[in-house]
Amino acid sequence: MDALTASIPLLVFVVVGTIAVASSILVVAMRNPVNSALFLLLTFLCVAVLFVMEGAEFVGAVQVLVYAGGIMVLFLFVVMLINVRALPDDRILSPYWTGGAVVGAAVFVLLVALVRPGVYHEQNDNPLALRSTTVNARHRVVQPDGTTVRKRYTRQQVVGNSEAIGMALYRDYLVPFEVASLFLLVAMVGAILIGKRELGIDDEDVDPQYIVDRVAEEKEMKEAMSA
Amino acid sequence: MTWADTLLLLPELIAATGASILLIVPVLGGRARGHMAKWAMLALMAVTALAVIGSTYAVAGVQQTPTFRAMFAVDAFSVFFKLLFVVVIALVTLLSEDFLSEERYSTWEYYSLLAFALCGMMFMASGVSLITIYIGLELLALSSYILAGYYKNHEESTEAAMKYFILGTVSSAILLYGISLIYGVCGSMRLSTIAAALSTMLSNDALMFGIMLLAAGLCFKIAAVPFHVWTPDVYVGAPTPISAFLSTGSKAAAFAVFARVFYVAFPAFHLDWSNVLAAIAALSMIVGNLAAITQTNVKRMLAYSSISHAGYSLLGIIAMNEMGLRGILIYTMVYVFANLGIWATILMLRRHAYAGESVEDFRGLHKRAPFAAFSMVVFLLSLGGIPPTAGFIGKYFLFAAAVQAGFGWLAIVAVVMSAVSMFYYLRLVVAMYLEEGSGAETIYSPSLRFVTALSLTVTLVVGFIPELPIRQVIESSSHLVGRVVQR
Amino acid sequence: MGFYDSGFPILSVITYLPLAGALLMLFINKENTGAIKTFATIVAAVDFVLSVPLWFYFDRKAAGLAMFQFRETASWIPSLGVKYSFGIDGIALLLILLTTMMGLIAVYSSYTAIDHRQKEYYILLLLLQTGMIGVFCALDFFLFYVFWEVMLVPMYFLIGIWGGQRRLYAAIKFFLYTLAGSVVMLLSILALYFFNSSGIPFLNIKGLGNAPSFDVLQFHQIGHLISPQLQFWIFLGFFLGFAIKVPMFPFHTWLPDAHVEAPTAGSVILAAVLLKMGTYGFVRFALPILPDGTRQLMIPIVTLSIIGIIYGALVSLVQKDMKKLVAYSSVSHLGFVMLGMFALNPMGLRGSVLQMINHGISTGALFLLVGIVYEQRHTRLISEYGGLAKQMPMYATLFLIAALSSMGLPALNGFIGEFTILLGVANANIWWAVFAAVGIVLGAAYLLWLYQRVFWGPLDNPANKVLKDVNKRELLTLLPLVACMIWIGIAPAPFFEMIEQPVDYIVQKVDPGYFKRQPVTYPSEAAERAAAVSSALAAIQAEVHR
Repeated sequence: MDALTASIPLLVFVVVGTIAVASSILVVAMRNPVNSALFLLLTFLCVAVLFVMEGAEFVGAVQVLVYAGGIMVLFLFVVMLINVRALPDDRILSPYWTGGAVVGAAVFVLLVALVRPGVYHEQNDNPLALRSTTVNARHRVVQPDGTTVRKRYTRQQVVGNSEAIGMALYRDYLVPFEVASLFLLVAMVGAILIGKRELGIDDEDVDPQYIVDRVAEEKEMKEAMSA
Repeated sequence: MTWADTLLLLPELIAATGASILLIVPVLGGRARGHMAKWAMLALMAVTALAVIGSTYAVAGVQQTPTFRAMFAVDAFSVFFKLLFVVVIALVTLLSEDFLSEERYSTWEYYSLLAFALCGMMFMASGVSLITIYIGLELLALSSYILAGYYKNHEESTEAAMKYFILGTVSSAILLYGISLIYGVCGSMRLSTIAAALSTMLSNDALMFGIMLLAAGLCFKIAAVPFHVWTPDVYVGAPTPISAFLSTGSKAAAFAVFARVFYVAFPAFHLDWSNVLAAIAALSMIVGNLAAITQTNVKRMLAYSSISHAGYSLLGIIAMNEMGLRGILIYTMVYVFANLGIWATILMLRRHAYAGESVEDFRGLHKRAPFAAFSMVVFLLSLGGIPPTAGFIGKYFLFAAAVQAGFGWLAIVAVVMSAVSMFYYLRLVVAMYLEEGSGAETIYSPSLRFVTALSLTVTLVVGFIPELPIRQVIESSSHLVGRVVQR
Repeated sequence: MGFYDSGFPILSVITYLPLAGALLMLFINKENTGAIKTFATIVAAVDFVLSVPLWFYFDRKAAGLAMFQFRETASWIPSLGVKYSFGIDGIALLLILLTTMMGLIAVYSSYTAIDHRQKEYYILLLLLQTGMIGVFCALDFFLFYVFWEVMLVPMYFLIGIWGGQRRLYAAIKFFLYTLAGSVVMLLSILALYFFNSSGIPFLNIKGLGNAPSFDVLQFHQIGHLISPQLQFWIFLGFFLGFAIKVPMFPFHTWLPDAHVEAPTAGSVILAAVLLKMGTYGFVRFALPILPDGTRQLMIPIVTLSIIGIIYGALVSLVQKDMKKLVAYSSVSHLGFVMLGMFALNPMGLRGSVLQMINHGISTGALFLLVGIVYEQRHTRLISEYGGLAKQMPMYATLFLIAALSSMGLPALNGFIGEFTILLGVANANIWWAVFAAVGIVLGAAYLLWLYQRVFWGPLDNPANKVLKDVNKRELLTLLPLVACMIWIGIAPAPFFEMIEQPVDYIVQKVDPGYFKRQPVTYPSEAAERAAAVSSALAAIQAEVHR
């Protein structure tokens, strides 16, 4: 019984992990973008389960809320807005796909060979490690002559998963975190710049061509009707 | 973390704030005043430069002062590169003026993206943790992708941006994977902690693989063979000022990272990775120079020449000695100015497309624009490493470093290839001075003239009185060399 | 003239005067060709006049390091140990005088030959002069390298803009060949630099730990400490750099192209001065610094020199183009210079150094002479000419003197040089001398045959009947050269005196035991012996003549 309980996490990992890998392959293999998006959603959910299993429930929750919830919905919106009806019939795989597969397999084998247990930095078996953070504190020290001095010290404190992540993000990794926000801003600017129609200074108030066409068309129709 | 720490971030904060303001201006009605954008950008660069100089006074000295939990450091090394970046961006701004006014693209967003790129470059130069470096590099890369595709109406530009984006993302992923392996083995992303962890290890395959992946990612940014395939297409397709930026600023930032990471974090494994990098360097020099010979498009030629120059600069990393690090700094500076000068001349020529493309466009340039032609000769000689131009000083350092480190064969490849490179540089000289005939029209705006004059001054001053820049470079790099294990 | 012995930087003045002149010329309107020519001539003339007193103020008896005179030292790039260091010994002095004289002649001879883009032409000519003088003055390797490379650029343009039909090809070939050699030389310089200072730990080469320096004279002192194996490689680097410049046999292919395509003044400078930079490099750097390397490579170099002598002469024999003939004769003559040098004894080296000057004067004169008819007829094909002796008697006489000087007729300069070389070479190995003598005979053959075809016979080509004899300006460019030929041919003693100490110094460096084994010989004796044997050789040449 004990052996069974102990092997449950492994079992879950194998099952969920397999689903994650399989569905991520299907994401790129599906012809219909809506199917792809749904498989991506499945991948996200599986990864979230894996996070929770590792004791990182906050990241798991974020994974579900942000990726599965927010981003996927946007994806689906976009897919539906574009409204791709006719799918191209030509081959999707490039003629070099065998080469790519060989290289990919080789890298995989290489990694399996290289990254074996014991190669990594000392493993932290303490499950509390993900929930604790170093805290700067001061305490009063009464010196022999009666005066008190405040001394700084740091200690490891168990604070819970979310707080540990908060501490890491907003204190240890503050600078990269803030730069990441700039990165997202640039991504947004880029998306807008690429997406929008380029207008010259003088063209700003001019109606787009398709509206002009539509107006002309309707006018013709009216004339035809009245005639 | 105190206010003083925040002050150290001032240059980056100013650049980021300035970039955001530039974004907002058109919304507030600045769209019509596109020509003001250039001046706003130049003012921003001036303020940033002042802040960079000011930040050195804040740390009072050249010693490394890691701050923000050892994520970010202001030291003489970073200040050297940041000032170089600011100057590059300012010059690229001047180069862009005509392009933007003729092609009528939105100016404010363009400059804003340039400023964001600058911000990313500055984080790269100051990053002492792999994560800061990575995110800075991504900020730069993303801005570059968008800028490379700014020629939206031109198919070539869009294609170049697409190619650059996809290959760039793959290389970023490789880089990130390398970082994660290194983190896994060393338990930290801080360069100094990694160095300490390495010094206690004998050998570690996973770590070596991580270092190789990291090097591969960086080699993509500097366009070293075999990670160079994007370079010619992007340089040709991208708007010319952006090609100028990619071949100078972007590469300089990648070299700052390359130098800091390898000199600070990995000296202990030098024997293991130096031979791989030596092969990459040799290939870059050989492939870059030989491919450049056959090109008739000047931008393509410059792209291949830029590949070969990545090979030369790698000598400084491979050598892993004082001379080498100084060589990287001085060569980067020299190369940046010579290249910007050449791009300015290309921008000056008009024929079918917007700027000079083929070697024939340069025909008889000495008659139409004697100053530009003369400067061009100086820049080309500098790239070829002919004294008394600055390029010779730069190459001297790199070759000397390679000889000192015992990489004699690599030094021989380098000198032979630099002789070969003169062959295609001379083709432009031939076109400008020795061939008569009608080349492209020239429109030599004051901005281009200024860029040429400044680059020419730097190229000649560094060539004739190298003592001052060399001393500056020594000052800027000595604190990193202290860590080098002298064998 | 207290300038020359009071620490006044006279060498810098001589070096940079042409550069200053070139910069000033930028302000002359390019349409005003008269002013440009006059100004360039004045600059070159002043430079020459300034350099002449060096001859009188030079202390010929100073031995050892003191023989480097008119020293100037200033710091240039202290963080690399690079100094601005000038100084000349007797060899450099003669070459500088040759350079300033040929520079003046080159400027003066271009008045009518150059008909477009005159301003650029004279500016480049003056820049070239600065580079060449700098090469001979520099006593710091870094500085030397800078001058060595700087001079490539103006020469490239001179050939490329004002050259003949295939000028682009010739210019690029010249540039790339020389550059390829010199960058390899740079690696040798670096190896020396590190040997003197920090060493190359990776290759287990321990440095001497001296302060970083590029001081050539310091390298002279420490060179023999380098292990023979490393000396071999360093010497090989120098050899590539200098041998391409000389040019020695397998590296000579750029020379005919460059010589033939260059404008007359360019050929004159190329032959008279630029080729000497290679041989000068050997005697100044390679030999004294790397004695073991020199001895290891002596046999291959001697072999190449002999091949060069005979090959150059044979190829000259079959040339149809006058200029090409003279160009290939340079390969042969420079083979003599290299052969004498690598006899590694004082006699051979003396002859070698003197022959550098002789070749500059004679071949320079021949190129000028070829240029004179080319300017009128626009062809250099030997078959186009014939019987010119009647049409242009003065020209024919000058040409005869130059040709005889070049082939080594007694009482002219070539004889003294070649004969001294032969003496030195025979001292080292009699068979080398035999091969070299074959070269002399062939040399007489191709020059006399050329003379015969061009100047004798019937004057049957109508185009030649309108040829004008040398005019006053052309005469003025040629007379000093003829005077020098006769001066060196009759009284070579002052020249030998000038190079005696440097040559002994080099032999002492290369072969420290030489003077213990051999009684010291004096140049005056050599000259006497030369005069004694002159009749014998004259007989041989008379034979060939027939």
